[in-house]
Amino acid sequence: MVTMERPTGEPATHDPEWVDDMLLGGGSADVCLRLPEPVDRGTLRRLVAEAQTRLAAAGLRPGGAAALRLPPSLAYVVNLLATWRSGAQAVLLDHRLTDHEVDRALARLTPQVVVAPSHVAGGALRVFVDVTETVHRYADRPATSGHAVIQLSSGSTGPSKVIGRTADDLVAEVRRYTRIDGVALPGERIVLLPSMVHVLGLVGGLLYGLHAGVELVPPTRLSGDAILAAVRAQDTPATVLGVPFHIGLLASTRPDGPLPQFRRMTTGGELVPAATAQAFADRFGVPLGNMYGMTEVGVIGTDLHGEHRPSIMPAPGIEVREVDGELQVSCPASPYVGLSDPTRWADGWLHTRDAGTVDPASGLVTVKGRLDSQVSVGGMKVDLSEVESTLTGLPGVAAAVVVYDDGITAYVQPDGPLTEETLDGLLAERLAGYKRPRTLHLVDQLPRTTTGKLVRSVPALRLTAP
Amino acid sequence: MSGQPDLARADLLGMLADMTAKPVDQVSHRVGSMELAWLVHLVEQRYQRRLDLTDDQLAAIRTVDDALAVFRTSLTSATDG
Repeated sequence: MVTMERPTGEPATHDPEWVDDMLLGGGSADVCLRLPEPVDRGTLRRLVAEAQTRLAAAGLRPGGAAALRLPPSLAYVVNLLATWRSGAQAVLLDHRLTDHEVDRALARLTPQVVVAPSHVAGGALRVFVDVTETVHRYADRPATSGHAVIQLSSGSTGPSKVIGRTADDLVAEVRRYTRIDGVALPGERIVLLPSMVHVLGLVGGLLYGLHAGVELVPPTRLSGDAILAAVRAQDTPATVLGVPFHIGLLASTRPDGPLPQFRRMTTGGELVPAATAQAFADRFGVPLGNMYGMTEVGVIGTDLHGEHRPSIMPAPGIEVREVDGELQVSCPASPYVGLSDPTRWADGWLHTRDAGTVDPASGLVTVKGRLDSQVSVGGMKVDLSEVESTLTGLPGVAAAVVVYDDGITAYVQPDGPLTEETLDGLLAERLAGYKRPRTLHLVDQLPRTTTGKLVRSVPALRLTAP
Repeated sequence: MSGQPDLARADLLGMLADMTAKPVDQVSHRVGSMELAWLVHLVEQRYQRRLDLTDDQLAAIRTVDDALAVFRTSLTSATDG
């Protein structure tokens, strides 16, 4: 692969006013979060100001970066807003990443401070947890780019994996949401299931909600009943935002009276099978909307009324074109920090690596699956080649092939005595849980072509591990 | 109800088959976070009670057998209590 260094702009002090203008305005008594205890805007502003003081005391300065390694929590929201309000860059690290993965990211992105939990409270399967955080000094350098937020695509730091978005870009995406028919309206609620570290939960949930005056309501735990209880908890209309897995949780609940507050469920991530959508509509009688987006640009298109399934209409201001069977999305500047692969972004177009078509008459976009080794696991992106190279690098492994076969599936050829348990343990130190293979096959000999290349065809691999 | 709850390995495999729309004999015995949330949800529905599981208990669940052991412990203690 050809990679090249692209200038990503001088580290710039962001004008932090956008945070107050776009996100933190509104009446002091207006509730913005229900955890389920209501948090009003006055309280949020006070907590953000206090966090700014702590971040500054630990060494964060305008133009620097703060790495947030926090599970979904009020502490995450507060420290994110405080980082931006300090004129600094937020580096978002999914709390499920291992120490190994985080260490690599920190060495690459050299934040001035790292915010991590010192104590996490809350029962199992919580969507939102109570966190007591600590801030510690890491490096004494300016941020590596002028972006407001850095996210790691598939949680790793290779070329075109470190994605930056400017404050202007985030603001533009929030404004885009306000122009999409079918999003939650001011005074309504979003029952928020996706992680706020990733683009759907971050911009479509947190930032849009704060901007538009939509209350954000994470359910008390990850269960169908808890999601419905969150919908039922207030009289105002509620939109459930999630990924396809959450549809199944909801659809398997027992009917328990009318739910007039329930307006819509919207999912991002992978496509929803038509039968699942129909079962949902039969059970709840509300639209099941669909969204398509990427970390690099945020929301690309939507079908929030479920009337174009499986297609989506590009969001206002977004252009989508098809080139040689691949979807490309308008994106004025390269979103990649440092090493950027010109086959991922060039000349104002982001190459999505999604196969798809654009209907010239209606403009509707149909996504038809990935063209590369990236897969979606419950809405989280995983690069199979990263899983494979991690496996191949482990002691006792001669060769490995990782494919997606109803879940991440690894075929491993050991070069000595090796048990599944040993492999599991080694992988758990190096890869976040959602990236680890769901099925591990230890095989005597991986299939190879006559020229010695590893065979990646699923049927051929299945034959090696009957 | 008293003694061991009547929750069997086959019940959990059946629940996972429903989730993945696969035949029971093709269901993976490994349990990730989504499978776990699904199993807890359906087991709670079946026994009409909430499983009080600790983070440590949940973190230790990696297979269907692990899940079965933890669920049985939780259901038994709830029955006793």
